[in-house]
Amino acid sequence: MRSVLLLSSLLLLASPALALDGQQILQKVDRNLEPESYESYRKLIDIQPDGSRKEYVLWTVKKGGDKVLALFLAPPADKGRVTLRLGENMWLYMPSVGKPIRITSLQSVTGSVFNNADILRIDYTAEYDVQKAEEQGDQYLLELKAKTGEVAYDRLKMWVDKRHLLPLKIECYAASGLLLKTLHFSNIKDFGGGIKRPAQLETDSPLYKGYKSVMLWSGLKKATLQDEIFTLNYLPRVEELRK
Amino acid sequence: MKPLRRRRRYWPLVLLLVAAGAQADNYSFDVSQFEKKPFELNGYAELKAENFALNRDGAFYKLNYFGKPQRQSLDRMTETLELAGKVRQSIATLDFRVHADASQDRLADDRNSRIYEAALSLRPKPGLTLEAGKRALSWGKGYAFNAIGFVQRPKDPNDPQLAREGYVMADGDFIWNPGGALQTVAFTPVLVPVTSDVNGDLGASGHPNPAFKIYALYRDTDLDFAWQAKGSRPARYGFDFARNLKTNLEIHGEWARILQFAKPVTDASGRVTTEVGNATSYLLGLRYLTQGNTTYIAEYYRNGTGYSEAEVDSFYELVDAAFARPQPNPLLARALALGRGSYARPFSGENYLYFRAQHPDALGVVYLQTALFAMVNLDDHSFQVTPELQYTGFNNLELRLRLYLLHGGSSTDFGEKANSRKVELYARYYF
Repeated sequence: MRSVLLLSSLLLLASPALALDGQQILQKVDRNLEPESYESYRKLIDIQPDGSRKEYVLWTVKKGGDKVLALFLAPPADKGRVTLRLGENMWLYMPSVGKPIRITSLQSVTGSVFNNADILRIDYTAEYDVQKAEEQGDQYLLELKAKTGEVAYDRLKMWVDKRHLLPLKIECYAASGLLLKTLHFSNIKDFGGGIKRPAQLETDSPLYKGYKSVMLWSGLKKATLQDEIFTLNYLPRVEELRK
Repeated sequence: MKPLRRRRRYWPLVLLLVAAGAQADNYSFDVSQFEKKPFELNGYAELKAENFALNRDGAFYKLNYFGKPQRQSLDRMTETLELAGKVRQSIATLDFRVHADASQDRLADDRNSRIYEAALSLRPKPGLTLEAGKRALSWGKGYAFNAIGFVQRPKDPNDPQLAREGYVMADGDFIWNPGGALQTVAFTPVLVPVTSDVNGDLGASGHPNPAFKIYALYRDTDLDFAWQAKGSRPARYGFDFARNLKTNLEIHGEWARILQFAKPVTDASGRVTTEVGNATSYLLGLRYLTQGNTTYIAEYYRNGTGYSEAEVDSFYELVDAAFARPQPNPLLARALALGRGSYARPFSGENYLYFRAQHPDALGVVYLQTALFAMVNLDDHSFQVTPELQYTGFNNLELRLRLYLLHGGSSTDFGEKANSRKVELYARYYF
């Protein structure tokens, strides 16, 4: 009897160590994807079924878990536009209008398969809880559930590369269970400063059959940013922050 | 062995084909072409064609086309060029936006050129900006209307996203982030002087016209308080707010009080009296995004400085009487003067409803947006409905087609406009 109790105690003590800590994996994925505060350039390419393309270039800065700014550098029709995200609040500033207007995470300021939540993405751990984590060969599969109803996708299925702790594929679902889009990460690149992450993200959606959107990263690096730049009053001046 | 050797011979071709296939998905991104430059220039050129179906019975047709050849319709072409640029040096930036247009129709050739904005900004740190020059401020949260737009020219609800001409001013911007529930506070003081040379259309000259706006982001709600001192125009103050109630539903509103506002009012005989009193304007709006990606915007606007139904009826009676008599006559001179003044302001009534529905990627075509917007005078029930098609699928080119349909009986806001219908098509090229 004594040996049974001892064995049970040992098993109980050992189980937390053996269990997969999905939340910890997700935190590492967040930090491996981007430093907590950074600046980077991104190109968004929309590809239509006939192969024609439309391209956008954005300069993005992020601070902490929930502050993101994206400045449009191209095309000329969108140049100078700025989108700001503070937690679940999002605004769009257009130079011709001269004031920010509130936008929602499900809209797309570019009109592409990428919506505002994709373009102004904050840390996954800020928006999602890990409900389930399992090993699948050389990958982890994390099942994530949105912390609030304010988040663009209610559930995510994230396949994570075990070795690099970087996402390979993410399926995004609505609360109804409908698959909204799939994100495919590729082309792991060394950006310098200890940042090694995918430089390419492709997305397709059953809601946009035949259309594809691609996001490319360049110049990703750590940055020291002041809180004042993540405010509505600063949006007309964001361009001046670029070095 | 022979077949293997033959296969080896084809390897280079196979590799080339594989490489070509890979090339199709090999996206490039050369970031060097987007480096910040000390000087930059961009803008757009636009060609616009309009066809007006004129409303020969409308009071504003009679006033606007008095002394001109009478017509049933009018075609107009307008060419527009708008340039925006920046020059940077250290903490200083000089930015400008200039606008020029030329229009031709059977009655007139018009040319306009204006400096919309030209200001020097100093930014010693992110939380502090000091500016001087011509600047187009945009205060208020309304989409089509603004009650607290105290130091700006009114927007055109038909095209609320168009750039507008600013006023010559000195202004500052001070930003703090206290943290906690009060995420941001910003203070924007402004001086808008009116002299014989500058800002003449703001009001009487000889006043510095101080104003300010305080912005706060408090518990995810945008809040502004705005104030302008008595000077070239009566003193005024007000507030606005905006908040997302859900991820797809936003609410906004504005409220403004204008003290001792003077409103010229005419009776049917052309006798003008000036009514002085406090005026309150406000608006309440919603923006809603459906699961199908259609956006609805609705705004109710109460114009405290507008004319009541009885007041505009008297004006229309005056116009009718002026044109019923042999011309010229004294009533006509008064009607023409009033028709160029406050009665001619767009949305000069008291109660309006604005509604807009827009759907991107319409009819299965990406970059094709269909929209419909309507403006209703809630007092006389006259309205304007405008369906719209916009295509942005060509690089740097925007095409837009609109049909403006105005409906209203005699002595109503939209029934007395100069035109009853308008078709508008433009091509705008951005560079």
